[in-house]
Amino acid sequence: MTEGLPADRTGDLLVELAGITKSYGPVKSLRGVDLTLRRGEVLGLVGDNGAGKSTLMKVLAGAVQHDGGEIRVHGKPVRFNSPSDAQAEKIGIVYQDLALCDTLDVASNLFLGREPKRGPFIDRKAMHEQAARILADLHVKVTSTHQEIGTLSGGQRQTVAIARAVSFAPDVLILDEPTAALAVAEVESVLKLIGDVAAQGVGVILITHRLQDLFRVCDRITVMYEGQSVDDAAIVDLDIEKLVGLITRTPQQTSTEGSRA
Amino acid sequence: MSTTQTPTDTEAAPSAQRLARRSSLWERTNKATVVMAGVTLAVFVFFAVADGAFLSFANLSNLATQVGPVLIVGVAMTFVITAGQIDLSVGSIVAFVAAISAQLLVAGWDSSLVMVAALLMGLGWGLVNGWFTAYQGIPAFIVTLATLSVVRGLALFQTGGFSVPIASTTFVAQLGTAKWLGFSATAWIALVVVVVGLVLLHGTQFGQYVIGIGAAAESVRRAGVNVKLVTMSALGFSGLAAGLAGLLIAARLGSGSANSAQGFELTVIAAVVLGGTSLLGGRGTIVGTLIGALLTQIIANGLTLLSVSPYLTPIITGTVLVLVVWINLRGRDLAWFVQRLTRRA
Repeated sequence: MTEGLPADRTGDLLVELAGITKSYGPVKSLRGVDLTLRRGEVLGLVGDNGAGKSTLMKVLAGAVQHDGGEIRVHGKPVRFNSPSDAQAEKIGIVYQDLALCDTLDVASNLFLGREPKRGPFIDRKAMHEQAARILADLHVKVTSTHQEIGTLSGGQRQTVAIARAVSFAPDVLILDEPTAALAVAEVESVLKLIGDVAAQGVGVILITHRLQDLFRVCDRITVMYEGQSVDDAAIVDLDIEKLVGLITRTPQQTSTEGSRA
Repeated sequence: MSTTQTPTDTEAAPSAQRLARRSSLWERTNKATVVMAGVTLAVFVFFAVADGAFLSFANLSNLATQVGPVLIVGVAMTFVITAGQIDLSVGSIVAFVAAISAQLLVAGWDSSLVMVAALLMGLGWGLVNGWFTAYQGIPAFIVTLATLSVVRGLALFQTGGFSVPIASTTFVAQLGTAKWLGFSATAWIALVVVVVGLVLLHGTQFGQYVIGIGAAAESVRRAGVNVKLVTMSALGFSGLAAGLAGLLIAARLGSGSANSAQGFELTVIAAVVLGGTSLLGGRGTIVGTLIGALLTQIIANGLTLLSVSPYLTPIITGTVLVLVVWINLRGRDLAWFVQRLTRRA
């Protein structure tokens, strides 16, 4: 999937994280994480519970401020003090809880906080038309943009949340467990959506415990263990046993960097 | 990217036009409100048949005046409840503003100044409620329970519990007796408030965020909305509306009393909930509040005309409240409620 993209290898490095650390009091959540993401790439971020995946992504999304290390976006060092800083650098995130409002309709959720206006009023017609266009472009299957979010299935809610993040035209899209607790058919539509988004040139970081999903959509895997990034491998070099070994740090590992923990 | 009529779109891919199509009017209507409208109509017809005087213009005009204060505060309360909050202090604010406005008039303030002061006093108490709720994280139920006590207490302390008369020569007193097209100023102002409420709730970002906050405040916060400011504004709005109602009540009665509007907050909350606004937040309807306010006041008005014991009114109003909420629960939430009960068992 990576090689099929327009080969502009010079300027396609979107994000570099180098030596990121973060402590909560005496607890060292992140103890030096390196990570890179390229344009149009789907990067799988894996690791056991408590490995620091979610904390790392919150750092990258500006929701949490890191202590040490450097974030470079398009090669330029940046520091995020708030989620809006990260948004300004075109980094979008879909949290596990999706951040949707159940009693608002699909279009209202897509445009929450940036409703198109005519004078002091919300331009509902424009809002629904734009929402419909976004959803149709991404082949999101909902009946109507007037549907209340609370009436949608888990998979539909997930795709609406992703569509919302995509509509900000991000360069980087972080997805935290998008396929957890979804029915099989719904997983398919979410995975397909991830592929579509990456094909538009967005760099996608996918956090998931469903290892089979990684092999479906990812180009590369970064493995975290106890707050450190310990491995980085192309998906073609891995199979599911090897990957499990990398995550659990059991002997069969064929580490590419080796951990010095 | 913006081509909506791509012929290659098969049935599987939803077209943008189909997606944006509005659902039918029936699907969009709040069913609880429809039930209430039916009940209100039935009660209205009942009183019209039971007593000939009910349908007279004088009585209908009187009814509109009675509904006015409940409706004015009810519209604002709809925002508060939709945002997942509650305001128990509106009755006390009404009494405070009525009593203090009357005192200011007695002290020789000009009517125009008193009217501005009345609105500012209401808004001020509302913002006190809002600040403690939104910025200090104390539940609105507790904050407004406290101000319910404090605000009426201050008014009682200030007036010694005596009713303060308003001279009939003042503009405020004239406002209380003024009629236009046969309806009182209170009724007309209530109508304006309803229209403002409709536009605000369904047409503006403020209304959108109030609904969103009631559904999932954290989601709205993450969307970059100043949730605390919106919450404080909603409570400020209900304080302002209570101030307006207090002024109008004092004007109509020709006096301001710290003992007025006892239990007013419960009448208002009942009207809002009767109309179909969810006490859990996230779902609000101004039209419903209009119907709810009408129903509670039609019952009071009609029973008075039938000259039954006045003590029957609260009994019947309360019974209707329970019945209607029960019917609404059966309609939609009862299934969910039963599900929850059985799951726990």
